[in-house]
Amino acid sequence: MKLFKRFLTFLLMILSFGVFLPASALAYIGLCCAHCGGNMPLNIPGGGIPETHEFRFKVNQSFMQMGPLRDGTDDVDRTSILGAPPAGRFAAVPDEMRMYMTMFGGAYSFTDRFALMVMGMYTVNDMDMAFNNALVGSTGTNGFTMNSSGFGDTQVLGKYRLYSNDSFAPTRQISLLAGLSLPSGSITKEFSNNPVGGQNGTILPYRMQLGSGTVDPIIGLTYQGSKDPWWYGLNAIYEGHWYDNDQGYHQGQEFRADLYAMRQVHSKIVLESQLNFKYEGTYSDQPYNQRVLGQGHFRGNPANGFLSPLNDPNNYGGEKLSATFGAQFQPFPLQVLELQATLPIYQNLNGPQLQDDFAIMAAWYIEIPTKRSKRFVGTKAPKELGF
Amino acid sequence: MTGKKFIAIFLTGFFLVFANAASGHDADFETMGIVKPRTVKSAPDFDLQDLEGNPVSLDDFKGKPVLLNFWATWCQACKEELPAMQRLYEYLKPQGIEIVAISIDRNDKDRIKKYVKEYGLTFPVLWDPDQKVRRGYYIMGLPTSYLVDSEGKLQGFVSGARAWDSPASKGVMESLAGDMGQRMQKVAEAKSGHIK
Repeated sequence: MKLFKRFLTFLLMILSFGVFLPASALAYIGLCCAHCGGNMPLNIPGGGIPETHEFRFKVNQSFMQMGPLRDGTDDVDRTSILGAPPAGRFAAVPDEMRMYMTMFGGAYSFTDRFALMVMGMYTVNDMDMAFNNALVGSTGTNGFTMNSSGFGDTQVLGKYRLYSNDSFAPTRQISLLAGLSLPSGSITKEFSNNPVGGQNGTILPYRMQLGSGTVDPIIGLTYQGSKDPWWYGLNAIYEGHWYDNDQGYHQGQEFRADLYAMRQVHSKIVLESQLNFKYEGTYSDQPYNQRVLGQGHFRGNPANGFLSPLNDPNNYGGEKLSATFGAQFQPFPLQVLELQATLPIYQNLNGPQLQDDFAIMAAWYIEIPTKRSKRFVGTKAPKELGF
Repeated sequence: MTGKKFIAIFLTGFFLVFANAASGHDADFETMGIVKPRTVKSAPDFDLQDLEGNPVSLDDFKGKPVLLNFWATWCQACKEELPAMQRLYEYLKPQGIEIVAISIDRNDKDRIKKYVKEYGLTFPVLWDPDQKVRRGYYIMGLPTSYLVDSEGKLQGFVSGARAWDSPASKGVMESLAGDMGQRMQKVAEAKSGHIK
């Protein structure tokens, strides 16, 4: 219920932006410009490119729930790995994780071919932990909810159209995505509410951190096609983690591919479905606080086993295939509201780790023309015809 | 009043009235945001089909001024201006002025038909699924319209939606019709031997 209220609050906030900011409607003077064949789901990197000399702003609120545990393609019962750490078991095991992610982005199209996007995010992570009998006995509780929150990494991404079969309303186009993920998210978030004495002030496990801690290159290719009333395409993107952060580790290499199809069912409604594949490697090493200071290890000794599977860098990454269904609405000119839900289809995870359960997303997109936009100045009268 | 004075006053009055009429047309063109050609060229001819599959070419409208409009069912701005265009058509049709709308939708002719029916459009609507005519007219945004005079020459370019049923729009179209009227009168006079 608390979770639902939280999501509803974010959703209403997003909707209220759309309702109370009619300035964009005033800016709309009535011209459909290029990119007409380039509609994409807003959650896919490079989706939502504004017209030339126009800005766009996007707010995306998502909620993701993870759990139960999985190792490879098999579910893992948490009780089977709870126990005494020296025996290869863990003192604390994650049960469920909830991520509330607010993404906010801006973009500007400098030319018909090139747009630059900047995206930031604010994340709230809650992870329910279950204790082994010893900790239940010493703390008097079955577990606790681990928290972290704050701004994550910032992405700067350029999209350059390499090819299109038509300058105005293309049915096929290929674009290059290239950019950087900048380490604005913390990698030193610490426990603050752990009922186990001495744990507060120690470093939180990897996924509870808010960033990678490194400047990471992003490169990708996007194919966009359309055949009225359909849009479809494939986006393949690689995010490299090439060197160690200040804690002496780096995240595994990431590759994702998104296949999408969208169908216009009404002049203001587009339905969409996606297949989303993601591969992620394991972390390269333990953070300094674990590896050297012994945090996250039994009795604070780095030579001992991990207190939780969350502390093991090999319990991250794997292959995931999920399906996303959603709809885009256009409540006002130049504004799009998108609702989506994602469900996993296949997960082969380096585990044990929490598997994806489901995700829901709501995004609001607004395009703001500048005075240089075609919407204001119109298109040029063709000199070839005497103008 | 001497004869010279009378002629001077007559000529001044004539030019004032003429200039006023001309500047009135110019003001209408300006109000409507119509770009006039630097060099008057012929409108590219086309051979398309209407929504019933009948062949239609630009030549079919020769002798009449034409408002040539490019649009698509997915274009919201087009949706906003087409009803006004229909009202203009009902006003101008008796004066022999045509409106021809070319849809650049690629696939779904039925959707165009449904749209035409829904909006009660009675002017000719043609279909350019291969985008050949659109490219020939260098369309880079929708809606875009061209003013074509009765001799098939391009007289104006309009980018974006307009209030086509406005007095300024009617003034523009009537000026094109006026030119046609004058030319038709000249032809008639030439035929009757008044002008050699």
